[in-house]
Amino acid sequence: MATAIIETTSLTRNYGDICALKPLDLQVPEGEWLSVMGHSGSGKSTLMNLVGGLDRPSAGSLQVGGKDLLALTEDGLARFRREFVGIIFQQHHLVPYLSAVENVMMAQYFHSVPDEAEARLALERVGLGHRLKNRPGELSGGEQQRVCIARAIINSPKLLLGDEPTGNLDHKSTVMVMDLLKELRDEERFTIIMVTHNQEVAAWGDRTIYLDDGVLVREERMNS
Amino acid sequence: MVAIKLIPHILSWVGIVLILLRGFPERKRVVAVAVGAGFALGVAGTFFLFRSFPGDFSFSLIRDVVGGSFLLLWGIAVASIYRSTVRNFPLSWGERFFASIFFAGVGAFMSGMIAGAISVCRLGTSGGMLMLLILVLVACVLVFESLAIERLLPPSFTVSNSALMAGVVALLLFSSSSILRLDLFSPLSMKVMKFTHDFVHQFFESMLIPDHLFIHIHLWRYIGLLFGKEVGFWGGLIIWFAPAILIALAISFERLPSVAHIRQGAQRRTVVATAIRARRFRLVVPGITILVLAGAGYQSRFPAVEYWDPKPIVISAGPSGEIVIPLKGEVDLKDGKLHKYLFSQGGKEARFFVLMTPTGQLTVDLDACAICKPDGYGQTEGTVLCYYCKTLIPLETVGKPGGCNPVPIHFTEKKDGVYIDGLTLINTWSTTVQTTARVKEGSK
Repeated sequence: MATAIIETTSLTRNYGDICALKPLDLQVPEGEWLSVMGHSGSGKSTLMNLVGGLDRPSAGSLQVGGKDLLALTEDGLARFRREFVGIIFQQHHLVPYLSAVENVMMAQYFHSVPDEAEARLALERVGLGHRLKNRPGELSGGEQQRVCIARAIINSPKLLLGDEPTGNLDHKSTVMVMDLLKELRDEERFTIIMVTHNQEVAAWGDRTIYLDDGVLVREERMNS
Repeated sequence: MVAIKLIPHILSWVGIVLILLRGFPERKRVVAVAVGAGFALGVAGTFFLFRSFPGDFSFSLIRDVVGGSFLLLWGIAVASIYRSTVRNFPLSWGERFFASIFFAGVGAFMSGMIAGAISVCRLGTSGGMLMLLILVLVACVLVFESLAIERLLPPSFTVSNSALMAGVVALLLFSSSSILRLDLFSPLSMKVMKFTHDFVHQFFESMLIPDHLFIHIHLWRYIGLLFGKEVGFWGGLIIWFAPAILIALAISFERLPSVAHIRQGAQRRTVVATAIRARRFRLVVPGITILVLAGAGYQSRFPAVEYWDPKPIVISAGPSGEIVIPLKGEVDLKDGKLHKYLFSQGGKEARFFVLMTPTGQLTVDLDACAICKPDGYGQTEGTVLCYYCKTLIPLETVGKPGGCNPVPIHFTEKKDGVYIDGLTLINTWSTTVQTTARVKEGSK
């Protein structure tokens, strides 16, 4: 069995009086694709933010890639995000006045140094070799999401987080993006945690967990 | 008051120790001991040097050592810029020597010794052994403080060998430039100015500059710039800053590590980024060096010393044409201070001074030299300074002719005073000083 890349024990997150995530014990093996489902406000994004080092837990322990995220300083957490995590959002968050290749290079810049040749290759890999110089406004939703995927994987993360990455896409684009992610995951062997409302999207993963009011209520393993 | 005087030296000392500690991270203990011991020996050695050889000799010796270290820095700077452009550096043994424990120890010891010697030049020996003991104790305490400060510096902040040398030498120059007799920048500016003037003059004498009417006028418009006073200052600045700039350039030209064998792009870029970050950190010391050298240059150009420069006493000759200045009249001529006088005859004026040198000899000289515009002299710290060219003349050499020394005047010392022939005085002024001054004014 693969070693766990994510290990939580009684992981809790409170926002004032509201308990967004109730004590959660979770293990995610290295290379697994975990889908997280649940209604709005069930704690999906909270879990993703904690695992990605974007937020700090209120209680419990959280180990990601052998690192105790609670013990990390702000600088350490930033380094962890930079070197360990790639994130794809529903709202793309691409810089509108930069071209596709420049958007990818920006992630390289914050990681280490930009390398245009490598950024071009990443975009060619997601099927956008012909759209390198186009700005986000000149790309379709699916194409923009593929730029986001290229941006997320350019720094070879061990963990890829997706916060409803296909939420804004039509069915055809959704299938294209999910197929691409699966292909990349099989090649690079990174771990994916994907928050989604869509049962069909969740089915791309190896396992799905269901959250309700901050509690893990159910978990099911998908057939390959 | 003593503490204020010592501020530049204390700052330099802490800086030197910090740079040495960071420059030899594996040999901190050796460096700390060696630099402290060197300082103590430098203080003791200079104390005995001043006791044995009072006068300019000791200052000259220390100034020459500091000047020698500046020359060495020039050599290192040229070697490092050459190193950055070739793959097989022929002086790689030199790099191995730099990394050895022997160099760490000897380098730290020498640095400490020069720093100690400079500090004694500031304090002098009048405070006695107790003052010097306190100085050594303070220096040792500062070594311990520096060890603590050094631990707070980020680990990625490293110092290259050439930058280490540049930093230490710049701090020694900063320390020495606060002492007029150890200052190197002003003499350097002067040398550059004199060299430029001589060079252009010889060039002209050799008829290498064509004397055609048209060329003559236009060419001399530009050649005239080389005769300006500022040419020495700007030329001096170039020589002063060039080693630090060359070393900074050499560091910025350093090759990045080869990453062709690393398959993963992110890992490849991480290695490159780490090397670039380390290179930036290595540029910090040359950057500081340039600032320190600027500080040293500023101290040299605007020294924080007060000159003894009394208003000339108007004096006249007796019926025999002789000027008589009593040894103990309005002023005491043998008090070791410069006493200026103004003498007029037949519509002409001559300014001169009487001074007793540290060797106990009275001397009468014009308040001008045969080279510069007659801006006069001021007295400070065992020297007189030519206000025009900022050359320091040790008191021991006042009364001797040549160079920028005040032009000596023949006089007779009798029991009641000093006797000077008025006509000789006026003629000497007219034939040496005024001509020079008129030519210089005319060339502007």
